Amino acid sequence: MFKDLSIKKKLYFSFSAILAIILVLLSIAYNRFNSLSEANRWDRHTMDVIHAIDQLRNDLLQVQVEARGYYLTGDPRRLERARKEMNDLPGSIGELQKLTADNPNQVARFKKLDDKIRVWSEEIIESQLKLRQEMGDKPGAADAMGRTPQLSGSATSAIGEVYKSMNEAADEEKRLLAARIQASEQLQDTMRAVLTGGGVACVLLSLGVAWLLARALLAPLNNLTQAVHKIAAGDQSARAQVLSNDELGDVSTEFNRMAQAIQDSQAKELAATNLLRSKVDSLLGVVSKAAAGDLTGKIEVQGEDAIGRLAAGLDRMFANLRALLNNVQKAGIQVTTSATEIAASAKQQEATGIEQAQTSVEILSTTKEISANTSQLLKTMEEATAVADYTTSATADAQNNLKRMDSTMQHMVSATDSINAKLAALSEKASNINSVLITITKVADQTNILSLNAAIEAEKAGEAGRGFSVVATEIRRLADQTSVSTWDIEQMLKEMQSAVSASVMGMDKFSEEIRRSVGEVRQVTDQLSGVMDQVQKLAPQFDVVLQGMQSQAVGAEQISATMMQLNDATQQTVESLKATSEAVHQLQYAAGDLQTSVANFAVAV
Amino acid sequence: MKLLVFHIGADRYGLRLRDVLRVLPLVELKQLPLAPDAVAGLMDLHGESVPVIDLCRASGLPSGEDHFDTRIIVADYVTPEGSHHQLGLRAERVLGVQEVRDDQLTDSGVQAAPFLGQVAGDAQGMLQLVELSQLLPPDLRALLFQTAAS
Repeated sequence: MFKDLSIKKKLYFSFSAILAIILVLLSIAYNRFNSLSEANRWDRHTMDVIHAIDQLRNDLLQVQVEARGYYLTGDPRRLERARKEMNDLPGSIGELQKLTADNPNQVARFKKLDDKIRVWSEEIIESQLKLRQEMGDKPGAADAMGRTPQLSGSATSAIGEVYKSMNEAADEEKRLLAARIQASEQLQDTMRAVLTGGGVACVLLSLGVAWLLARALLAPLNNLTQAVHKIAAGDQSARAQVLSNDELGDVSTEFNRMAQAIQDSQAKELAATNLLRSKVDSLLGVVSKAAAGDLTGKIEVQGEDAIGRLAAGLDRMFANLRALLNNVQKAGIQVTTSATEIAASAKQQEATGIEQAQTSVEILSTTKEISANTSQLLKTMEEATAVADYTTSATADAQNNLKRMDSTMQHMVSATDSINAKLAALSEKASNINSVLITITKVADQTNILSLNAAIEAEKAGEAGRGFSVVATEIRRLADQTSVSTWDIEQMLKEMQSAVSASVMGMDKFSEEIRRSVGEVRQVTDQLSGVMDQVQKLAPQFDVVLQGMQSQAVGAEQISATMMQLNDATQQTVESLKATSEAVHQLQYAAGDLQTSVANFAVAV
Repeated sequence: MKLLVFHIGADRYGLRLRDVLRVLPLVELKQLPLAPDAVAGLMDLHGESVPVIDLCRASGLPSGEDHFDTRIIVADYVTPEGSHHQLGLRAERVLGVQEVRDDQLTDSGVQAAPFLGQVAGDAQGMLQLVELSQLLPPDLRALLFQTAAS
């Protein structure tokens, strides 16, 4: 039954039970305190009454003291004070009566006491005082007073009565006080017992309520906590047991529903993750291939989600990359081609420059040689002038000698002609011998064949042809010898014929030479005459030439200097051309590198 | 046994004298177009046409220049069927007739060309027999002696 209550009701129920006990205890204690307070008030009242009785007794004593003082001294001041004290007595008694109004015994007793005191004061004190006043200042008045019955003790019974009733009243009051103190102590004991019992009951009830509440709250909570621990440890199927119908029961039910929802959503999430991972793996494969340079990978992933869009983007990117790499490869090839062309033309330029440099060096050396030659020429010209004079005389002698040579040559021509004719006759004879030799050779050959056939026939004839065979062999040997001799003669004849032909040709050439020599000698003779005339004209012209030579020498020096400068410039040009060639080589290498780098990427799909 | 000795290329060869009809000087031959390489041409022998085989070309060597001792040997060729035919052989450096004893002949041990037979050694080197009956392969024989075959 306690289980079916909600936690709120459980709490309200438990704490209201404890509160009720405490309220009961408090009301009991309040009641007891009121009773105690009442008892205390009565105690104090009793004490006041006793105090008032003591005060009255004190006043009576004071009256007696003052009266006796007056008796002794007769001093009026004492009399006045005694009277005043006597007037106070009714006030004190009245107060006592007022205090003990609740007690009829005491009221009656104090009424009697009042009467007695009034009697005492009128009969004894007033009479005595009047007696003393009458005596005045007479000596011995005091002794006389002492001898009066009121003072000699006979009259003391009156005041003794007063004191006696006063003691009785005081005793009455003390008896009352004792009774009241006892009642008060009883009250205190009762209250202590009530407070102790109520406190113990309250504590026990609280403990019981606490135990019940703790059990009702902690059992479902522990159950829930265990389920949460299991789920946290990975057991998705763990559920909390519903132990009660209160809020914690609701919490357990809702928790179970939440755990189920989490399990379902995790299963869904796992499936989605697996799909995503497969797509990402596919993409990663293509991208890894691309990273290794193979751009031919095909992207299979499709869809409208983020991975699909990523795949589409990657696909577009690869297409662009392929196109780009194609362009780069083409560009690399073009760059390489252009660089090669540039390199070729640079090499040509360099070669041309080097040739130019060499040419200029040659020109320089040539120019120097010209310069040197010009100087030498100057000297030579001077010598030539001297030689020219000598030449003039020598030419005249030569002219005479040449004329003699001309006639000798004429003789030689005619002799050569006769030799030629004789050689022609010799050649003709040799040809005749040759034809004879051919005939002999043919005959010998025929003889050879005949002897061979004869030997064959003889062999076929067997023993009968044996002798003929020997003859045939002999004939054949002769024919062979004839052939060999004929061949020798033929060879000699051929040598002779060729020698004759060579002689004829040599003679022809010789006579031709002689004829030409004759012509040349004549020409030389004519020219020598002309030379003589020219040589005589040479001397003045040599001077002009000499001057020209000198200016030429100066010009050659200038040309030499200019050529030096030109040579330097050409060297610089060659250097810069070499640098250009080097740069173009580097460009070629770079283009080659670019091509090989790009060739690493397979782009064909 | 007597042999007619001649050269094929650099080496000496011998043909049995009984196979030889006669030796002729080198004459003009009529060329035979589309004939096999070994056939040198046709020869007119007293009005009879006789086929001529160039022994150099039949041996796979190039044909040599014509010399004064280059001859045509007219041989008596016997077909396996038994009919006789005249066959001209163009041979170079025909040296003459030489006597070779049978005990000098030994087998060459090599059978490269079918028509080359035993060998004999003498002071001038080795000499190999030419077996006339093996000279013509069957297809060439059929080509050359068609009338007789048919």
